[in-house]
Amino acid sequence: MTEMPLPFAAVLFPGGVFALVLGLCLKGLDRRIAARLQRRVGPPLAQPFFDLIKLARKDSLVPKAAPRLLFLTLPLAGTSTAALAVALLPIGGVYAPPAALGDLLVLLYLLAVPAITLMLAGSASASPFGAIGFSREMAMVLAYEGPLLMVIAAVAVFVGRAEGQTVTFSLTEIVAWQQAHGPLIGEPALWPALLAYLAFYPANLGMVPFDIPEAEPEVLDGPLLEYSGPALGLFELMSATKAVVVLGLGIALFCPLAPADPATALVIHLLKYAVLTALGVSVVRTAMGRMRIDQAFRFFLKGPLWLALASLLLVLGRMG
Amino acid sequence: MTLFAHLAGRSPWLYRINAGSCNGCDVELATTACIPRYDVERLGCRYCGSPRHADIVLVTGPLTIRVKDKALHLWAEVPDPKVTVAVGVCPISGGVFRESYAIAGPLDRFIPVDVNVPGCPPRPQAIIEGIAKAIEIWAQRL
Repeated sequence: MTEMPLPFAAVLFPGGVFALVLGLCLKGLDRRIAARLQRRVGPPLAQPFFDLIKLARKDSLVPKAAPRLLFLTLPLAGTSTAALAVALLPIGGVYAPPAALGDLLVLLYLLAVPAITLMLAGSASASPFGAIGFSREMAMVLAYEGPLLMVIAAVAVFVGRAEGQTVTFSLTEIVAWQQAHGPLIGEPALWPALLAYLAFYPANLGMVPFDIPEAEPEVLDGPLLEYSGPALGLFELMSATKAVVVLGLGIALFCPLAPADPATALVIHLLKYAVLTALGVSVVRTAMGRMRIDQAFRFFLKGPLWLALASLLLVLGRMG
Repeated sequence: MTLFAHLAGRSPWLYRINAGSCNGCDVELATTACIPRYDVERLGCRYCGSPRHADIVLVTGPLTIRVKDKALHLWAEVPDPKVTVAVGVCPISGGVFRESYAIAGPLDRFIPVDVNVPGCPPRPQAIIEGIAKAIEIWAQRL
């Protein structure tokens, strides 16, 4: 593993440009696979790039009642936060984030920012559909944030105690421990947490069955309803990059193993992203319908919350 | 610049306006997207929920008096450059509703129509050909 200078890590690799491009590629892959599952031909793999170039050339309209500055800076804030958050994720055998960037707790805050920009965008767009999108997004965040916190706590306590401390919030340490002792995906006490994580990420990414805030036939894209042109393009970028952060966090927490050779390790890391996108995103969204907001809320309170809590208690009990 | 215009032309997003249609054409429009055999997504198309996201506007129905103002307002919400396609015989001439007291159409009295796809309802192949023609026109305007 090599230490990279902080600006390079945040702007070029693995945060910033690399994250944006990877996000768009995964999105193209997802659309292609979903089309194939429905026995359609599907768009070309580079379709998200075409979409972005197109949106950059369109008019950007701002509703009369909307606060112009806030309305137009929100997508920028959301996208740059998501791109920065990728720099906090270590890649096994290739990259360890500089300590100055922060640990898991900072990442948790950065993960919340895109959701908040979406909420603000919904309410700033001065549209009733945006307001509905805002309240639904808020309900979803309340539903999935709890399980996520407990999943992260379970892993942090597990690795922390195995290393002889009480808890560690350093992702670098968590990945290094797994390189030495095997991946946490093979640890029965953490299986419930893994299941909870698998339920969390479609909700965070706003995908079927949890795409309730942006449900197109119901609330006409909700928070994004009034956005057009470059601003909408930035929101597309944000959602693509958010997928890189959330899937990358899953890889780092549960299965970061990679060979020592950096080139092979990077290829394997990208393959993990592709597999996760294909199985966890495309297949799920093709196979399921959309839940109602109350169903989704209850689902998270009944399922993932208890699973994550069970995992945390198992970890605490077994080692305490 | 021309390269970017060319690439941008591969991402036309579609928006449907139902201007008092009997829903027959709308079902056919859904068919072009939802049935594997007629996949418009391979042309880079995507049906979007908001007029602000759209590039190509597909109008169905004879533009009834009740819906006229709202339909024209929706059309005006679509950011430039845009292309308008009249789907079905109704927006083109009024179809079976021609000369009815309840009709404000045909559509090209009020907005410039770029492509006509006649039929009652038009077949999915015809709609896809109309969309393909609209994409050509739209790519020149970019």
